[in-house]
Amino acid sequence: MKYWSNTARKTKPQLFGLTLLLTAAVGSLSFAEDNSITLKENFRDIPTPPEFHVEATLLDGPVFANKNGKTLYKWSQHKLRNGYSGEAAGTPQCYDNVLTVTAGLMSPYPAGIKLPELDSRVSCTDLWPPVLAGDNADPVGDWTIVERLDGSKQWAFDEHPLYTSVRDRSPGDVLGGTTRRFGGDSPAKRTPIGPPTLLPPGFAVRSTFIGRLLATDKNNSVYSFDQDTATSTACTQECLNKWQPVLAPSLARAQGEWSILERSPGVKQWVFRDKPLYTYALDQRSWGLRGTDVSGWKNVFTQVAPPLPDSFTTQATIQGNVLADANGKTIYIYNCGEDSIDQLSCNHPETTQVYRLAMCGAGDPEKCLTHWPYVQAQANEKAPSESLWAIVFIDPKTGRFASPGQADALRVWAYRDRPVYLYGDDKLSGDVHGGGIGEWRGQRNGLRAIWLRDDYMSGIL
Amino acid sequence: MGNFKRLLTFVAVAAATSMTSSNLKADSSLQDGTIGYVITDLFWSVYQTEGAKQECPRGFNDGPREQFAKLYPNYEDMTVEETQLRQEIQTWHPTTEPDDFEFLAVEGDISWGLNLDGKTAPNDFTHPDGTPGVDNEVYRSVGCIIGFRGPDGVEYIFQNKAIVDERYNRMMIELSDVDSLENDDSVTITMSRGMDRLLTDATGAQVMAGGTQRVDTRWGKSLIRQMQGSIKDSVLTTEPIDDLIIPWMNLGVPSIHLIRDMRLQLTLTQDSASGVLAGYADVETWYKQLIRNDSTHHLSNGQISGISLYKALRKFADAYPNPESGENTAISTSLDVKLTQVFITH
Repeated sequence: MKYWSNTARKTKPQLFGLTLLLTAAVGSLSFAEDNSITLKENFRDIPTPPEFHVEATLLDGPVFANKNGKTLYKWSQHKLRNGYSGEAAGTPQCYDNVLTVTAGLMSPYPAGIKLPELDSRVSCTDLWPPVLAGDNADPVGDWTIVERLDGSKQWAFDEHPLYTSVRDRSPGDVLGGTTRRFGGDSPAKRTPIGPPTLLPPGFAVRSTFIGRLLATDKNNSVYSFDQDTATSTACTQECLNKWQPVLAPSLARAQGEWSILERSPGVKQWVFRDKPLYTYALDQRSWGLRGTDVSGWKNVFTQVAPPLPDSFTTQATIQGNVLADANGKTIYIYNCGEDSIDQLSCNHPETTQVYRLAMCGAGDPEKCLTHWPYVQAQANEKAPSESLWAIVFIDPKTGRFASPGQADALRVWAYRDRPVYLYGDDKLSGDVHGGGIGEWRGQRNGLRAIWLRDDYMSGIL
Repeated sequence: MGNFKRLLTFVAVAAATSMTSSNLKADSSLQDGTIGYVITDLFWSVYQTEGAKQECPRGFNDGPREQFAKLYPNYEDMTVEETQLRQEIQTWHPTTEPDDFEFLAVEGDISWGLNLDGKTAPNDFTHPDGTPGVDNEVYRSVGCIIGFRGPDGVEYIFQNKAIVDERYNRMMIELSDVDSLENDDSVTITMSRGMDRLLTDATGAQVMAGGTQRVDTRWGKSLIRQMQGSIKDSVLTTEPIDDLIIPWMNLGVPSIHLIRDMRLQLTLTQDSASGVLAGYADVETWYKQLIRNDSTHHLSNGQISGISLYKALRKFADAYPNPESGENTAISTSLDVKLTQVFITH
């Protein structure tokens, strides 16, 4: 095992060998100035069974995948209001039985209520096939093998049983779940697993909507200064009152994208992709972005978000900058997770629409089109390549994907394979009245806005 | 020196010290006719008596948990659509149609607040100091709901915690053209949002005077309001302004309140201010703030049925009639407000 490996193994040929410099402007719609260049994140090589490899993703860092390129997911135990869901270490809980009643994990509603659409309801493994291990499979490093109830063997990583998602279609897809954090009242979500990011001790990286944000392990965002180089710094004297160099230990050494600037005798500063790193004294919350308001200073990302549709805009609100459509109306993502033991999501056009229709139109699809209109793609508009955004066709009467050639189908924008919405009561640019609409403040059956810049509630995280 | 002389000397020195200290303090807070304060407590004015015997003689309202148990005793034979989602639909698509529960409104005739319309009507409350004509129909609506009552109500706790912890709702007032904090017949008041953490004591719980705040002229530009007022016997009274947007956040969801005809009545000192912020709250905004910030679970902890409360808010709304339907869209209200002196930098 090589700790300081800089040998990112990427499977997408067009991405091989890219060594990219880069810090990214926050709030800009063009996160990558050149769409042909996609910043990727280096990772630490760890011992891995031969049937798995690492795939680069568009926004979630490197992930492990099986031979077919399907991303591997875990379902970690998650504390809900009335108990736990997800899997304890080494204990698969996702099986092929179809659940019929609620679990009562989220108050105030009790357990034992009949779940919707039982005649067409699927099981956990219908959506999350377990990653089975062959008879000759051997544990390696953090990779172990657990036994399922039927005696079959299932791969586990760090003791978490592993699954693939039926939503993923191509290598590098992470449509079953993301590495973005989710709140305590969100469902127990499945999250992709991957190798550790190649970082020196003292740093951390998190997935955000705008990229993989770099910070210290104390959760202080790190910044770079345009006038600095790998071997010189323009931030001296009074500049240091607000910008604090991220110091490297005396025995630290350069490796890969990381190097060291000795800014004064014996005082070493970490340098990432040729830029010395600093924290900002006036950042008032963890993973802050405020330093980017100072001319010449930028947050640092290990990987920047892929491009957005050309027609989208950024709107200033009293909370920060939000993603909006061409008319300046705030764009929302719909979140939905059932109160069942298997915590299946209900936010996709191929899942039950009962929950969404209740929230958006009291069960009436026509009202939904008024209260939560889809973000419709403009005529001739195309989705950007290498993007998490796509244009899909939706049946307005059901909310499901439309049949091929369906006359009244709506051509709408989708993020991670799920349609996005406007909110009918947003009248002006910058209105965000739909944020938190729905059950559990929009986390379990409702809307959340897409934040590009937020100083108040960790909205980008 | 005799004891009497010693005492005189001590008193004289103490008085001089006190005056010097007071003058210095005055100089340090009121500078160039300007003094700033930051809001540290803000919650709906709810007049409470021992055991709620005066205002809620028939007890408190049921919440979602109690209502669910009464509506669906056989829920195990029913579907999610027939139970949980039926309740959520009524929460998120509320109507004025009666539900199956009697709403317990405040029955007492005393309330905090101000006379907003300058009239004394039969339904008006009387201030505890005897002033008649107090308009506070939000109190009539929420006064018999446990979650809105201090000091343990879930709304009371979360809101007053958030206003100290979060910066989204860091509202401030700045008085300028001030000759004296005791009497001045014309002062200018500017409301804006601050950007910074509050200065606290070592525990972190007690906000201290003398902190600094920068004005949020970027995200908070649309929140800035200016008004005129006067100070009499250390009480600031402002003229009403058309509207005030109050950024309001708890539990991580930023939302707003919209208060029309907003005015302030505050008792001022060098270090702090306290009193009421009053006006007419937009009913739809008021209700959406509540249910966006608090899930049905959180509302249950305060026995707050959004479904029933919405009907009450609409019933007691007393201003800004919809030109087409004639139904009132705003409801009189008062918020208890406490502020701490702060130096506002521009």
